Amino acid sequence: MGKDAFTPQKRVTSGSLPTTTTNGGGKYLPGRVVPRGRQIKKTFNNIRITILCGFVTILVLRGTIGVGNLGSPDVDAVDQSIIEETNRILAEIRSDSDPTDTEQPPDAEINPNVTYTLGPKIENWDFSRKNWLESNPEFPNHVNGKPRILLLTGSPPNPCDNPIGDHYLLKAVKNKIDYCRIHGIEIVYNMAHLDKELAGYWAKLPMIRRLMLSHPEVEWIWWMDSDALFTDMVFEIPLSKYTNHNLVIHGYPDLLFEQKSWIALNTGSFLFRNCQWSLDLLDAWAPMGPKGSIRDEAGKILTANLKGRPAFEADDQSALIYLLMSQKGQWMDRVFIENSYYLHGYWAGLVDRYEEMIEKYHPGLGDERWPFVTHFVGCKPCGSYGDYPVERCLRSMERAFNFADNQVLKLYGFSHRGLLSPKIRRTRNETVMPLEYVDQFDIRRAKH
Amino acid sequence: MLIERCIGAYRLRRIQRALRHGKVTVICLILTVVVLRGTIGAGKFGTPEQDFLNIRDHLVRKTAEHRRVLEEIQPQQQQQAKTISDSAQSSGSSSTSNANSYIEFDINTILKDEGPEEKPDPSKPYSLGTKISDWDEQRSLWLKSNPQFPNFIGPEKPRVLLVTGSSPKPCENPVGDHYLLKSIKNKIDYCRLHGVEMFYNMALLDAEMAGFWAKLPLIRKLLLSHPEVEFLWWMDSDALFTDMAFEVPWERYKDSNFVMHGWNEMVYDEKNWIGLNTGSFLLRNCQWSLDILDAWAPMGPKGKIREEAGKILTRELKGRPVFEADDQSAMVYLLATQKDLWGSKVYLENAYYLHGYWGILVDRYEEMIENYHPGLGDHRWPLVTHFVGCKPCGKFGDYPVERCLKQMDRAFNFGDNQILQMYGFTHKSLASRRVKRVRNETSNPLQVKDELGLLHPAFKAVKLSS
Repeated sequence: MGKDAFTPQKRVTSGSLPTTTTNGGGKYLPGRVVPRGRQIKKTFNNIRITILCGFVTILVLRGTIGVGNLGSPDVDAVDQSIIEETNRILAEIRSDSDPTDTEQPPDAEINPNVTYTLGPKIENWDFSRKNWLESNPEFPNHVNGKPRILLLTGSPPNPCDNPIGDHYLLKAVKNKIDYCRIHGIEIVYNMAHLDKELAGYWAKLPMIRRLMLSHPEVEWIWWMDSDALFTDMVFEIPLSKYTNHNLVIHGYPDLLFEQKSWIALNTGSFLFRNCQWSLDLLDAWAPMGPKGSIRDEAGKILTANLKGRPAFEADDQSALIYLLMSQKGQWMDRVFIENSYYLHGYWAGLVDRYEEMIEKYHPGLGDERWPFVTHFVGCKPCGSYGDYPVERCLRSMERAFNFADNQVLKLYGFSHRGLLSPKIRRTRNETVMPLEYVDQFDIRRAKH
Repeated sequence: MLIERCIGAYRLRRIQRALRHGKVTVICLILTVVVLRGTIGAGKFGTPEQDFLNIRDHLVRKTAEHRRVLEEIQPQQQQQAKTISDSAQSSGSSSTSNANSYIEFDINTILKDEGPEEKPDPSKPYSLGTKISDWDEQRSLWLKSNPQFPNFIGPEKPRVLLVTGSSPKPCENPVGDHYLLKSIKNKIDYCRLHGVEMFYNMALLDAEMAGFWAKLPLIRKLLLSHPEVEFLWWMDSDALFTDMAFEVPWERYKDSNFVMHGWNEMVYDEKNWIGLNTGSFLLRNCQWSLDILDAWAPMGPKGKIREEAGKILTRELKGRPVFEADDQSAMVYLLATQKDLWGSKVYLENAYYLHGYWGILVDRYEEMIENYHPGLGDHRWPLVTHFVGCKPCGKFGDYPVERCLKQMDRAFNFGDNQILQMYGFTHKSLASRRVKRVRNETSNPLQVKDELGLLHPAFKAVKLSS
């Protein structure tokens, strides 16, 4: 940098080397030859100046870039390896592999000639259960005048294919916790595959059976899919309607018997009474379930016999429809096909109308005016792909969740800032007498 | 040459000399300023080193911090998205396959806040809510007029509401929501067994009390809205139940209003900032509790108040690092300085792990299984394993990612095994998601009793009217 200052001088002195830094130059005589001694001195001076300039340059550079950069290639390498390790851990967690996979040899596939069973046949369940209830009066099958209900739901044990899926599973659980707290229902959240033959949508069958047999005090077992949300927090299932029935399921009888449609019933939300009849139905339902060749073959039969069913392996809903259709006489007298309220409500026709519902109607109706359950069939947020555009699905799920949450928050004097907003705003000021609002807004108190 | 003729040679030389001097001076000045800036810095403009780092960060996005980072697997996901969309193109149109794909969907494009943002009045001092002075009277009147909602559901068993929560937005970490889901399942199981009601909060009631302080307005609101609840049990989302058989000894607390895990000496004598833990505590529904919440809250409001309060707490409490005020340190400080006001009704429990620090527990699970049994609740079989510092929902925790997540899996399975054994199953190992049968099905299911007696435990029995 210092050198630049001297070029004008250099030009002026016509070729001879500059002498000092500060002195402007002094007298010169153009054309005169410089003696040798002087030349050496000049060289030394130049070297001194060069060293000085170099020193200043280093100082300035150090001030600019800093010394911390000396180790930079190593630091980047370390960071990179940590990122890779973290990604590896996350990928391991999100994969289907399990540390016990190497321990045991893969089990042999089930023998297709032997009919699959859920467990040893139980013959006198009604009698055994009645005896048990009599000898255990501290575990009655009625609580507060209502039959004891157990809500069963679940999801796979590994993380969803994408993070947003787990987030909506969490929100769905919160939604169910809220409804069940208000209505005194117990929840069982299943994350285990009890029977590896009946994995996937069939996994509910062994779990329902297991819970019935382990909890004789439970009168009704209510299966609900993980993608179904409660949207009417006030509505309660009118169990008195079903004293003579053992299976309550949403559907349409004409679709079932006349059109033989594969969506005549919906097994995303249904109730089973804890009795021998239910155990028998489960036993009759299960045989199409075992994965592998049985499920594939069964799928073909179902596609051939049910209207509108695409070709894929047997699913529990189609199998139940086929079973009830073909063995109508044996089962249908105890099956209640409910469509006076939305025990299962297909989401597409409901989610856009929430604002209209808020304006015109009120919770407690359970039907098309204020649906009890909004069921997001086909959205599959836990997988990688759904049957509908993702934005539509997630937007609708968020709206349904907030629509329901507003009914819960009402007691506390809050509401969401819009059906798409995670934030809440106050709807009621604080007061020194909070209990008058409790009397007014608590859903539980309104019923009693 | 022209100039020389105008002004004269002598004057020209003088002007040239002056110019040279001027140049040198200016250059030296610039040099000095640059060196000084490099050394001392120039206020908000910073040092050139900082400039350089800013530019470098801007151009080359730097990501990690040592051993604590949890990143979106962007490159892998993009690769996956490419391969899946490539394969899907063979079956459907490319535009719909991308619109139906959940991979890399940003939820923030959907969320929308309507209405005005509530701004707190800066002139008013912070308060949790309107001051109530007669809550005990109000509540006992209400309980008398509502006999169908008793505050005691058994002879010694109070009605308990377990409160926990998480953010309404997805976790920053891709597996965070999955661990929150497992944590809530774990709590659902314990609460079902013990007849405890649950409230899962996903709403921020008061924007000023965000973060760890968010529980205070929530707890107050729940106490006032649920007079039938006798005890409110707050539990962090990163705390798991590991003893499903242990029932909290409610009679022990009949004269206390606030039960936390901790040690009296560490709080009152040492003023140690981890002398107690506010990740899992019991609070009775009464006037005293409303008062202590009001006394606890002032250090919470975010911004300057919380920062300044943090400095006071770091100075006053032993071992506390420097950061903004947190609810736990504030409680230690409150109890240590106002012991006469609150101490008589606070019970610092350490006979069992109402909160159990995970670091000393998780490696011993196999040893516990071999030597002990559920129902003890203490160091032999902890009631709660609390993963303090792991922060699975965020991007940065205080511990290595692998240790935290793997140990959370183990703790979850350790607790889940006690639930599964009721139905005749258990996990294949503490690290495995898969389950195996340990009790054969029978045609007489009611003769079979589960080992721990959790199917129909005494603490769940309904009060029989004689």
